[in-house]
Amino acid sequence: MVAKGQKRKLHREDEGGGSAWESQLQSVLDISMDKFHRDQALVEPCLLRSVLINNTLRQVQSEVRAQVESLSAVKTKNQIGLLPEPSFPRSSPSAEHTPLFSLNNENMEDDFMAWTSEEDFSLSSAISAILKDLDTVIDASQGPCASQRAPLSSVENLTQYQSGLRTERMSDMASSIKTEAMCPGCPQDVALDKLLLDIDTSVFEPEVNLLQGFSVTADDLAKYLPSLSKSASASSSSSLVSHGQATWEIQEIEHVMDILMRTYPQS
Amino acid sequence: MEEESDSRKINNSFLRDHNYATEADIISTVEFNSTGELLATGDKGGRVVVFQREQESKNQPHRRGEYNVYSTFQSHEPEFDYLKSLEIEEKINKIRWLPQQNAAYFLLSTNDKTVKLWKISERDKRPEGYNLKDEDGRIRDPTTITSLRVPVLRPMDLMVEATPRRVFSNAHTYHINSISVNSDYETFMSTDDLRINLWNLEITNRSFNIVDIKPANMEELTEVITAAEFHPHQCNTFVYSSSKGSIRLCDMRASALCDNHSKFFEEPEDPSNRSFFSEIISSISDVKFSHSGRYLMTRDYLTVKVWDLNMESKPLETYQVHDYLRSKLCSLYENDCIFDKFECVWNGSDSVIMTGSYNNFFRMFDRNTKRDVTLEASRENSKPRAILKPRKVCVGGKRRKDEISVDSLDFSKKILHTAWHPSENIIAVAATNNLYIFQDKVN
Repeated sequence: MVAKGQKRKLHREDEGGGSAWESQLQSVLDISMDKFHRDQALVEPCLLRSVLINNTLRQVQSEVRAQVESLSAVKTKNQIGLLPEPSFPRSSPSAEHTPLFSLNNENMEDDFMAWTSEEDFSLSSAISAILKDLDTVIDASQGPCASQRAPLSSVENLTQYQSGLRTERMSDMASSIKTEAMCPGCPQDVALDKLLLDIDTSVFEPEVNLLQGFSVTADDLAKYLPSLSKSASASSSSSLVSHGQATWEIQEIEHVMDILMRTYPQS
Repeated sequence: MEEESDSRKINNSFLRDHNYATEADIISTVEFNSTGELLATGDKGGRVVVFQREQESKNQPHRRGEYNVYSTFQSHEPEFDYLKSLEIEEKINKIRWLPQQNAAYFLLSTNDKTVKLWKISERDKRPEGYNLKDEDGRIRDPTTITSLRVPVLRPMDLMVEATPRRVFSNAHTYHINSISVNSDYETFMSTDDLRINLWNLEITNRSFNIVDIKPANMEELTEVITAAEFHPHQCNTFVYSSSKGSIRLCDMRASALCDNHSKFFEEPEDPSNRSFFSEIISSISDVKFSHSGRYLMTRDYLTVKVWDLNMESKPLETYQVHDYLRSKLCSLYENDCIFDKFECVWNGSDSVIMTGSYNNFFRMFDRNTKRDVTLEASRENSKPRAILKPRKVCVGGKRRKDEISVDSLDFSKKILHTAWHPSENIIAVAATNNLYIFQDKVN
């Protein structure tokens, strides 16, 4: 998760004026997405306006990505050993991620295979990969649909980036990441919330009102996803394949799906 | 010297004539013809109103030729594109006059999709004495006609009629933002977001595409064309501006499709000013050649720039129109004001440039003295024939008596369209649905 809590305080010196920049980033993102969705609802959005808003969104996207990458780069430097207890974060769900990250701070051991660092790294890389694919073209087989579906359309994108979730310990981390994500009130959720909004660039055809989002509701997702177990399940992968186009490693899907579902209280 | 008198008078001596209020419709374009005798305005309702300057009268020397309504006509009607289920707005985006070649006047007017050539002509005689019908038009009973006569032309009250002579349609998929008449007086170009088409004024069923920046995959689109204009003297040269703040100069002799530019004008971004809005505010909303053809002027959200055609790396001059808005870009993005497209104009001698701003303010910059002035087009704040008072926006804490603070600016009152008489110091300023005409003070 991109942290806005404890961890970020550590690095604030590096960023200088980071919080002001962040709040502007957030506003620009909010406003841009709002305009983007409003324009989608129009029959014929102004092309100049659409291009400018889209370019701004891309810029925000790349800034966020740079942020995430720099954070994950910092984290990999601070390799720490950490008890890989899934229960650990659960003990204080409202404390958000602070327990995890405070341990980061305390233990500066250079353990490359440490759980937490890998968790964070995998999470950051997951986010980065998601962000990369926010530009990906979604199959035009998905018809125009209401803009509320847009956030979840990024789920469809996941089929194409699954290679980004590549650590060996992914399956073991699934549960801990799941519990990390279990805090609806996290400020991190807000960030991820926004990050995972599908910034769809394939909206420029005025002749065809293409909102290339996929009509997936959270309920649908729940239906198709098995309970979040580590066991690979042919049925679940096949049901996902029925929506997507590529094969998955189920654990990778599971934990990312869970993040999405937890951070989206509703479709 | 004309230039010196310009600069002397520029700051404090603009008289105000009447204030013409067009009926509830927002003016979308203003243009003087090549002699300055006529002034055309187009509005959102698709109408064109043409004003004519009255002859200067010896009896009333203080009333230098004022502009009166000469002709009004409905240029474009709202249309419906059945194929795409889209309504096509009738709003007049641009008007350009053709040079006068006979007693009639010709202008091109365009909405989002169709360009029309209108002929405006006067009629002050009419035939009288028809054989088969009465003067009021009723058919005469043939049995009552006993003699044959030749109808004669008799004077009548002046009637100005506008007739559409050509309709140039079905050539643009995207919205037309500019038209420009070539100096050869035979061709003109129409520009939409992605393409520029060249037309012959006589031929309506065919146009040539000379610029096409549409990518094969529309998802890759990151830049659109925002304005284009022919060079005032070289009929093979034109420029077009983009949403990324660049201007391309093209030569039609080089190839049929001018996708490759001959010159590329772009100023490198100032890293200290970089923000999320850098690209949006760099989008060029208007581009105008100087009358001499040596310079180019561009307007982006916060500045006006003058470029030398021989120097592509950076502009010759940069003028800050309303730099106090730089810290408000986020709110202006939110309320969409950041997308406002301001135009800019040269005076006849290319020594002064003018552009609009918010709160019904407009700005003039003297290129020689480097002085600038902010004036307001408002009925409340100045009386007819009174000299306009320069305005000032205060940015700091202490506001002087006549200053306006940035926060009390009215962003709904924007001056997007202005025009300058080709040879005299007469300007037309469109403030929403009002047209203001200002002249130099008569000494």
